[in-house]
Amino acid sequence: MSLWICRQEAVKTPYYMDVLGIHLFSSQELCYVIYNYPLLVLDDFVDDNLLDFLRNELNLGFLALKIERWLKSSENPDDVLVMILQECDYYTTPEISGFRQHLQAFRKLPHAEFKKKKADSLFAISQFGKARRLYYELLGETDVNPGSGLPAGQLWHNIGTCYARMFYMQKAFQAYQKAFFAARDNRMLEKLYYLTLLDEKLTMDEREASLITPEQKTAWDQKAEQARGNAGQSKTMRELEDLFGRDPIKRQAGMNRLITRWKKEYRSMV
Amino acid sequence: MDGLVLGIDLCDEYTQISCMQEEKSWTVPTVICKQKNTDEWYIGEEAYAHTLIGDGIIVDKLVKLLIKDGTATLGENRYTGLKLLELFVKKLLELPEQEYATMHFKQLVFTVRKLSPKLIEALYACCGKLEIPRQRVHVLSHTESFVYYVLSQKREIWNNLVGMFDLSEDRLCYYEMKVNRGLKKNTIVAEYENLEEGFNLDILENPSGARLADKILCSCGERLMNKKLYSSVFLCGKGFREQDWAEDFMKLVCSKRRVYMETELFAKGAAYKAADYLNEKTSYPFTFICEGRLHTTVSMPVRQRSGETSVVVAAAGDSWYENDALFEVIPDNQETVDFVLTTLDSRNKRLIRIPLEGFPRRPNRTTKVEVRVSFLDDRTMEVVLKDQGFGELFPATDIKIRQEVML
Repeated sequence: MSLWICRQEAVKTPYYMDVLGIHLFSSQELCYVIYNYPLLVLDDFVDDNLLDFLRNELNLGFLALKIERWLKSSENPDDVLVMILQECDYYTTPEISGFRQHLQAFRKLPHAEFKKKKADSLFAISQFGKARRLYYELLGETDVNPGSGLPAGQLWHNIGTCYARMFYMQKAFQAYQKAFFAARDNRMLEKLYYLTLLDEKLTMDEREASLITPEQKTAWDQKAEQARGNAGQSKTMRELEDLFGRDPIKRQAGMNRLITRWKKEYRSMV
Repeated sequence: MDGLVLGIDLCDEYTQISCMQEEKSWTVPTVICKQKNTDEWYIGEEAYAHTLIGDGIIVDKLVKLLIKDGTATLGENRYTGLKLLELFVKKLLELPEQEYATMHFKQLVFTVRKLSPKLIEALYACCGKLEIPRQRVHVLSHTESFVYYVLSQKREIWNNLVGMFDLSEDRLCYYEMKVNRGLKKNTIVAEYENLEEGFNLDILENPSGARLADKILCSCGERLMNKKLYSSVFLCGKGFREQDWAEDFMKLVCSKRRVYMETELFAKGAAYKAADYLNEKTSYPFTFICEGRLHTTVSMPVRQRSGETSVVVAAAGDSWYENDALFEVIPDNQETVDFVLTTLDSRNKRLIRIPLEGFPRRPNRTTKVEVRVSFLDDRTMEVVLKDQGFGELFPATDIKIRQEVML
């Protein structure tokens, strides 16, 4: 238990972190993303923009110079991330040691597994567009080299989920169909069924439909109904109801803010 | 002259200006008068003169008017206390301006009987209107001016205990200052007591009143100075301009003591301080414990690269009004912001814990808290904690906690 005192950082131009779609305003935030999303920062993260940010905005000119020299040398470039963590004083020495070990472990992973983990990381932070691209790349690699060890069914499932999260229902449906035929997994059928409930234009073909038992259908309908009920009680819905309960001027302003936020989030995830 | 260095003693009855460079001073009654049917303003004796001949309307007790948020109607217009004080200060500063033919103020130190944020802000605002930069304007308590005045004298005068009686229009006040020698730094402890026995100076105009006043002073003197060893005693204020009426009291204070008379002591003390602001290194290397200064050190246990440490937010002896600390902290598995209050002798330590109530739940170390520490007076600290979030990762909310802490 303690309080960490923050460095005085008068950041005027934040650093835009493309992979996360966010701006970073402090050294603490920079350390946080490095530490929590190592797979997203392992390659090509440290560039001139980041060095400028360190130098001009965070007043860490010495660190920037050290990194520049390090990158020009033949030393391990991953150590640059550790250098940043050490300099910014946001993580403790044991935490930084643990981070270093994680980096080493990632580097030892087979290429496909490393890429899958990276795609999963992107998915976890709602970067569905970027995650989907990586899953497709992995699919391509699996086709070229069938022994690479990553099951196509799983990759198609992930692609389908990425599409569904981006509201591309048609494409999600097709991806789940491929996942089903690749893996013969009944869970894919369930997802296909839910998509038909969400989008009336989507229909399962006879072969798929015939595999669903009446009991399964009843259970899935109940689950879908429950999910609808839960969604109705969610925080977002409550916020919306609250918004519509306000006077017209405040409602309009609130709606504008909300739509702007949703647009921003959607652009970021796509 | 390349700029004026002034000490100004602002009271409801009078205002004194002491100019550092040439030891010149002015005493002006704190009154302002507006000439009827014109926009001409007069202060001090001139104001009285215009009122007497009937072509002006006068307002007095300008400090009190300001503190009470009062207004005064002069002619057809209503003026706030601040506006009148502003006009008064403007006219007041014209005195040294005209004398030395310069409008450049290098340092301006006001001294007032009782420090209050409202009065201090008003004085800053008045000077702001006159385009005097804020960093050149300071406000001290009378107690602190007394200390600066005394410390500017020969060392033997303040070696030990120094006492002072201030007898003005309707106020009798006793000040005392002591030097505590320490290993690192000497500490000056000064305090004052506003004596209930204060009387109106009008009673000195008749013999029986004067005798009564002498008696009152004697009894106060005996009570306050009993068995104490003084390096010196000062007498100041309008009441001591003549001492014939206080025969017994003078005998009492002058017995085996050095006694000095100084009618412009507060203004001069302020002027000494004004001159000190111009020095790179202060001529008063002491810790001051008096009205206007903090009696307690406020620190915060924090973690830095080297481990656990303590950051001093405000130190005992700092000016409470000018102390305004702003910084950011990140709680690590902690749901409170803690402060440690330490008395001057370091014997008593008190932990103040302010819970971060209502702050959103976020992963550990992803809440930045803006901490602002300021003081409402020398005994009250105000802490404002504001949720700053953690950039775009965890956006800030409007949550703010404000807490007053008695020191």
